[in-house]
Amino acid sequence: MLKTLVEAFALISTWEVIIAMFAASVYGLVIGSLPGLSATMATALLVPVTFYLSPIAAIATIVAASSMAIFSGDIPGALLRIPGTPASAAYADEAYAMTRKGQAELALGAGVWFSAVGGIAGVLSLMILAPPLAEIALSFSTFEYFWLALLGLMCATLVARSSPVKAIAGMFLGLLVSCIGIENPGGVPRFTFGLTDLFGGIEPIPALVGVFAVAQVMRAMLTPEPPPLPRRKFGSIMAGQWKLTKKYHWQMTRGNIVGIIIGVLPGAGADMAAWVSYAMSKRFSKEPEKFGTGHVEGLVEAGASNNASIASGWVPSLLFGIPGDTIAAIAIGVLYMKGLNPGPTLFTEKASSMYAIYLMFIIANILMIPLGIAMIRVAAYILLAPRSAIMPIIMLCCAVGSFAIGNNMFGVVTVAAFGVIGYVMEANGYPVAAMVLGIVMGTMVEQAFVTSLIKSDGSILPFFERPVAAILAAMAIGALLWPVMVWVWRKVKPVQAAAATSR
Amino acid sequence: MRLPDSVTGSFLVVLGAAAAYGGWLLPPVPGQPVGPNVFPLVIGTGLALCGLAIVFGIGHSFEEEEELIPLDDGQTAAAAPSQGRLYGLRALLPPALLLFYVVAADRLGFIITAAIMVYVTSTALGAKWKLALPLAALSPFAIHLIFGKLLRVPLPAGLLPTPW
Repeated sequence: MLKTLVEAFALISTWEVIIAMFAASVYGLVIGSLPGLSATMATALLVPVTFYLSPIAAIATIVAASSMAIFSGDIPGALLRIPGTPASAAYADEAYAMTRKGQAELALGAGVWFSAVGGIAGVLSLMILAPPLAEIALSFSTFEYFWLALLGLMCATLVARSSPVKAIAGMFLGLLVSCIGIENPGGVPRFTFGLTDLFGGIEPIPALVGVFAVAQVMRAMLTPEPPPLPRRKFGSIMAGQWKLTKKYHWQMTRGNIVGIIIGVLPGAGADMAAWVSYAMSKRFSKEPEKFGTGHVEGLVEAGASNNASIASGWVPSLLFGIPGDTIAAIAIGVLYMKGLNPGPTLFTEKASSMYAIYLMFIIANILMIPLGIAMIRVAAYILLAPRSAIMPIIMLCCAVGSFAIGNNMFGVVTVAAFGVIGYVMEANGYPVAAMVLGIVMGTMVEQAFVTSLIKSDGSILPFFERPVAAILAAMAIGALLWPVMVWVWRKVKPVQAAAATSR
Repeated sequence: MRLPDSVTGSFLVVLGAAAAYGGWLLPPVPGQPVGPNVFPLVIGTGLALCGLAIVFGIGHSFEEEEELIPLDDGQTAAAAPSQGRLYGLRALLPPALLLFYVVAADRLGFIITAAIMVYVTSTALGAKWKLALPLAALSPFAIHLIFGKLLRVPLPAGLLPTPW
């Protein structure tokens, strides 16, 4: 244990890792603070750069950039009422109301402080949860993996803030995309339409860049420019945070726990954690009437929640290769590329790398406090940059980055195509996160499914015979039937349902 | 690009049916009951069923309208001038520029292609030439320095090779 910890320290105390982490932190803070550029997009655009880094430095950049971006989305939320990332949308109104009351320092300080605390709570959950789960996961066969993957896909559709039917359709679309290529049980070209470029299948990373970055530039073409940030002087940012921590320690803990749970659920990420925690905070508050008028309580709970979910999203990713959220989906791609294939054996064979990941998360969250304060002070200058200067650079990065993944122009075509797909889906209420999950997990789902079918020799019984498989199966089928039951319930009792929604 | 649910749902039905049929046509693995055909069959069927459900409006009641945070009064009116029907097509500009990059980069070289992309995107987002022109002149070199020089991505030189 101590030896691996020392090894992990040695792994991260190289100049490459330190510089990569610092640069990625600044990058994440800047991208996160710009309205319309999400943390997922920041991470996706970072991937081509990680090709050229050592494995640990590559993961360091992702850890640092994603944690920082989730916090710095709070800055324009509080100052402009425009959330920098979707994860800050839940409480942007509240934070802006605080700014109007002259409490911008308190709102932003709470953002930094409780984000850092939440992030560290998330790492602790990763450290505590992952090893025992890895132990259990070692005895999993393809049946368990099949149900687990199905459960993961279903969770993504359950928590989506849109129609579950559309979410399931999005997930099927993603699975269909993953069918393309010759990497299938028969090794025959499938859905390639005779194009050699499609033989290798659709790479998840260009698809992600397209869906998150190009689609965003497309939306920017049709939406008005956000107003520039008024210049202002800030007082002490951290003053009063310790008092808040003591006063709202229970809210903070609840936010952390909710964030961790939502992070672990596949497909549900920081934005969901923030929405749920903010709603919960209001529901259980002693003074719910103050919410919406510039009350810090919801900010504390939701801020603690969204950063906690970032770290805990890595638990299913590292153990099963099932991403906890879209950022973890990108991280999985990088892990594979760097030879750290996700799976329970990662914790025994590459224990020092795992400890290095934990340490990097902790360092990133501690680093967040000074860098975050600096960022708040210079935010006014960064937000002066007009969108027409930033979006063209994003476009160039999309083109070059997707080319760099395979040194192949087909990557650029993929990015463009998925930009259109992502834009159309989003505009019509189909959640893109569900599709992304389908693309990332498709190959694994198919492999587990077909291998299980061959092993069971036509019988359906083996899918339910083993105890863990039976439990997972029950959960997956329950998740599948849940929207149907709710729908039937609402049809049968329309009056009660109406009363429930108006409450 | 907001389409009625019946259109997107019908599209999914067709796509799902095509995928299932395409999967069904795939050759099986000799001596195995299941092969590469099973998964597309399942996915295609599922997708077609979802499409049907969407056409009939099942699950529509779960949808929450996207909460757009309104801008402060006065700004909204100024920010949304009414454009013609072609205005919506502007959204297709970014993917079109990426395809332009695919076609042109090898012949024109990275610097020139990138400069055109930057200039067009910037102008389309409302920048004056005073901003767009220097941006288009400088940013390709910066990106080339990072990706081409530091990260060794083989970017095409084309007509205008970089000084390094």
